[in-house]
Amino acid sequence: MAAAKPPFLGFGLGLRPQHYGEILAGSPAVDWFEVLSENYMIEGGQPLRMLDQICERYPVVMHGVSLSIASTSPLDLDYLARLKALAERVNPVWISDHLCWTGVHGVNLHDLLPVPYTREALDHVVDRVSQVQDFLGRRLTLENVSSYVTFGQSEMTEWEFVSEVAKRADCWLLFDVNNVYVSAFNHGFAADDFLNGVPRDRVVQFHVAGHSHEESHIVDTHDHPVCDEVWDLYRAAVAHFGPVSTMIERDDNIPPLAELVDELEHARSIAREVLARPLVGNPRLAAAE
Amino acid sequence: MTSLKELQESFQRGILAGDDTILSEIKDSAKEERTVLFGVYRHAYVARLAELLADDYEQLHAYLGDAGFAKLAKSYIAAHPSNRKSARDFGRHVPEFLKTDAGFSKHPELAEIARLEKALADAFDGPDAEPLALAKLAEIAAELWPKLVVTPHPTAIRLTFTTNASDIWSDLHDGNAPPPARLLPEPQAILVWRQDVTARFRLLGPEEAMMWDEAAASTRFGVLCEMVATYGGEEGADFRAASYLKDWVDMGTLAGCRLL
Repeated sequence: MAAAKPPFLGFGLGLRPQHYGEILAGSPAVDWFEVLSENYMIEGGQPLRMLDQICERYPVVMHGVSLSIASTSPLDLDYLARLKALAERVNPVWISDHLCWTGVHGVNLHDLLPVPYTREALDHVVDRVSQVQDFLGRRLTLENVSSYVTFGQSEMTEWEFVSEVAKRADCWLLFDVNNVYVSAFNHGFAADDFLNGVPRDRVVQFHVAGHSHEESHIVDTHDHPVCDEVWDLYRAAVAHFGPVSTMIERDDNIPPLAELVDELEHARSIAREVLARPLVGNPRLAAAE
Repeated sequence: MTSLKELQESFQRGILAGDDTILSEIKDSAKEERTVLFGVYRHAYVARLAELLADDYEQLHAYLGDAGFAKLAKSYIAAHPSNRKSARDFGRHVPEFLKTDAGFSKHPELAEIARLEKALADAFDGPDAEPLALAKLAEIAAELWPKLVVTPHPTAIRLTFTTNASDIWSDLHDGNAPPPARLLPEPQAILVWRQDVTARFRLLGPEEAMMWDEAAASTRFGVLCEMVATYGGEEGADFRAASYLKDWVDMGTLAGCRLL
């Protein structure tokens, strides 16, 4: 499997249908786009046409929600085949999904469900990631999820689990800053411990997003602007990991593109300030990969 | 220790069936009890699927109102746990559910509004195909026309409605108050397809519907003209058949033609 770490792409956004027209008509200050894989596993029509046009102009990464890498049910080979076919069309810089499961026995609960941090689960996930990587012929990127429950049987911390998966399965990590913030609050750990516990050379992408605060717990809803506390953690993440491709993730209450571009500009300014040098994504480098 | 497989099965039962066995595997947090924390997953499951249904069936939602649609979503989610990777597939059984459910089936327009919305959604991201161009038909010599066979665009879907559901859908879509639901004296034929990037539908008269169905079954144009003559009278039958064909080409409902 190719060994080179994917390039720093700069500052990107999740591609949402509401913004197709604006993106193609103008030249928003967005270095790259993340597309939701499942939305384009279709036969034809406008979404695929827009996707093709975006791919001609921007580096693109694919992000899925249905791989269910930690499920104890067999891998869905039909899904993997469709994921691979889409990757051939898109030529993404990387493909990501979540370190979670979404259902067993053929049911899809359409949620990113938590994994107990046990040695059994670790062995299982490592084996599954290897199978998926062999099938796709490329490394997978896995994202830490927000979680609301702690399992009594867990034998290690989340960051120990995530790090072991990355090292043993030889995959990349998508460090979701908001998810670390949410889980740290919900489970009472220090977000900095997570940050410092993850291997630096494995992190290829940051997600930054908003959430809903329910007083006793926080729910990862992606329907608000990014809050100050998450920006603070982002600042710490940039200082720790260096330049990492950064993306604002918004899935609900989707604002006009300009508003997200402003939020992205804020991320860019934080990174610039922290690293005390200008950061420019290099699409050419991405295309050459 | 409970195995990962057993833990996941128990977690899933906790979400789908309200089974509390999983709670013994979960710890209270410093700030909240485990029932509330696990409740986040229970709530998210129903809320997310209800939202998916509302996105897929926008006019049905408008027609039923929030409370009526919430009732539909709740019973549908219980009857059809999602078993597909794609979120868009989740609501695919809604028309059939509305047709067969004891309560909803008393209002036959509901299943038909849902059927129309689903057909439009299927046409929207159905397979691509270059629409048949009039120029291609013009190349065919007059004496060969009786052998002509056309192919519908791969997004084309034929529906037959017993109620005025298409009128209800159109008014809701345009932001107008819908007419009262009623049964039609005769069934209404409808053709749904995608023109360029827009999913559309069109009402077909009985003669045109008959000819479309036959044409879609690869009947030659010569035979179609005879059928039109039998259906609506011999006078002007060839002209009527040619007009229907030209309309179909103009609207992009056909993808190809050949001589058979």
